[in-house]
Amino acid sequence: MKLFTAASILALSLATALPTVAFAADKPVVGLVMKSLANDFFKNMLEGAEAHAKKRGDYELKAIGMQNETDFESQLNGVENFITQGVDAIVIAPADSRAMVAPLKKAMDAGITVVNFDVSLDEQAKKDAGIDLAFVGPDNRGGAKMVGEALAKALGEGGKVVILEGNPGADNAAQRKLGFEDAIAAGKLNLLDSRTAHWETEEANSVFSTMLTAHPDIQGVMAANDSMAIGVVKALDAAGRSDIKVVGFDNVSAVAPLLKDGKLLATVDQFGSQMAADAIDKALEVVAGGPKLEGWIKTNIELVTKDNVK
Amino acid sequence: MKGMSMKLVLRDAGIGIALLLLIVFFSLSTEHFLTPNNISNILTQITINLILAIGMTFVILIGGIDLSVGSMLAFCAVVAGTVLTIPDLSVFVAVGLATLAAIGTGVVCGFLNGWISAFWGLPSFIVTLGMLNIARGAALQVTDARTIYSFPQSFNAFGSQMVFGVPVVFLIALALVAVAWFVLSKTVFGRLLYGIGNNEEAVRLAGHSLMVYKVAAFTIAGALVGIAAMVYMARLNIASPIIGIGFELNAIAAVIIGGTSLSGGRGTVIGTLLGACIIGVLANGLILFGLSDFMRQMITGVVIILAVIIDKYRERITAA
Repeated sequence: MKLFTAASILALSLATALPTVAFAADKPVVGLVMKSLANDFFKNMLEGAEAHAKKRGDYELKAIGMQNETDFESQLNGVENFITQGVDAIVIAPADSRAMVAPLKKAMDAGITVVNFDVSLDEQAKKDAGIDLAFVGPDNRGGAKMVGEALAKALGEGGKVVILEGNPGADNAAQRKLGFEDAIAAGKLNLLDSRTAHWETEEANSVFSTMLTAHPDIQGVMAANDSMAIGVVKALDAAGRSDIKVVGFDNVSAVAPLLKDGKLLATVDQFGSQMAADAIDKALEVVAGGPKLEGWIKTNIELVTKDNVK
Repeated sequence: MKGMSMKLVLRDAGIGIALLLLIVFFSLSTEHFLTPNNISNILTQITINLILAIGMTFVILIGGIDLSVGSMLAFCAVVAGTVLTIPDLSVFVAVGLATLAAIGTGVVCGFLNGWISAFWGLPSFIVTLGMLNIARGAALQVTDARTIYSFPQSFNAFGSQMVFGVPVVFLIALALVAVAWFVLSKTVFGRLLYGIGNNEEAVRLAGHSLMVYKVAAFTIAGALVGIAAMVYMARLNIASPIIGIGFELNAIAAVIIGGTSLSGGRGTVIGTLLGACIIGVLANGLILFGLSDFMRQMITGVVIILAVIIDKYRERITAA
């Protein structure tokens, strides 16, 4: 039975991995390049895009993802395949803000409309490659500042906080850390320590427990994503410290009960499910002959607390 | 036989002294290291790695390696999590079934690892690299990449339960160490695992089926992954298909630091326990010491290499 299930899973994933060759000739084709499909955030994004394609019905969506967030080689191959297939537009959440510039330039040279969303390409790298590319995406720094300020308001001036960072080197991790630091400066908070837990629940749990030992006077925690916030909340449960306030980022479904119980003070929703769809809309406007996109087109972000959690 | 176990004790004593020195260093250099709370934190933090490392010890002793344990942990966890969240089951039944599901999943994956590498004579490095992808993909497929949560309250509470300041989950791991120690050093089965690691041909010529023992070692490792998955879920109250990335490397590091030879045939599970403790004490102590994340990572790397170098010398001394 087990064997059979494993085999059918394998067969299924092989089947879904096969490229869809059938093109409807009249509709424009949009190639969507995602980051890891292995997490709730991008999963919602993909589902949002698929629903959008069905609803609009006037374009063909082809989506690719990758194994994990650092596997940018498969993104590179994906972009090259889209160029070969001659898609009309490529809408991409780059895995690396520098490495993806060169293949995207190649796509633009081939006359493909490129829209960059979710994570912004590096300004300097774009300048070096001589391309000008608009960015459709959330303000990670602004979002982190927003949720950080919610924490600052709850703690008051002089509140002692620690930060749990995402992967060192990842652009959104760096932006969120900067946003937390903005909130700390604005709210006159006292930052005791800042460490990475690589976006990971178990690591956040261990690292935070140890930070709490080193600084028993911690009053607030800023976690750069909800997975890490979950690990922190669990560590606080285990230590019996209900006095410490925690904020996260992403609004994944697993934090809803924590928000309701007051174990998580706030998180940020970036509306991932709409983000890809918004970027596709922008791309189709250009494909249909609309003006070239410019600068940073900010997408909606919202603070989620006990009061507005679903 | 007597001389051999004496040597094994001597090897473990060396690692124990290294651990003791680390503990003394951090106790003197940081304020909070040697506090009851911190000690129980460390014990909680090493538990999952220790359980995985026990299984890894069996595999490495026969000269194999298992790169799939991190992915298998995720697969076992999401299968068990799915069972645990079936509505209208009593807590007792749900936890029992979930545990069976976790261990069952681990046993199937481990069995396949062992059987495929033994039957076709393939290096386990490659076979388990394949399983690493299969199990991760399967975990993502069955959950559609979603995190499973809202387990029964009493199950969630169990993960942070203490007995006299010692985490219950660590006691479980310790019991598994004891069982593994008994199996490896007191049974014919255990001695044959060492024999395969030392001289496969000799064991085969003595009329034993290599296949059975190899498959058994990987299956045991798989079962332990299932137990580790239950501990993960009790501790963190979620089961996500992306947990456990890179856990295999930490487990291998614990086994190697614990003095087990990568070429097989030498090492003890007590060494593995000490190795896991060294990794846990370092991770915890260096944060308390105030060292940056990057320095911390570098030092852990240095310790792994040092352990292998020291093992080379120890090998010469005990061989003499």
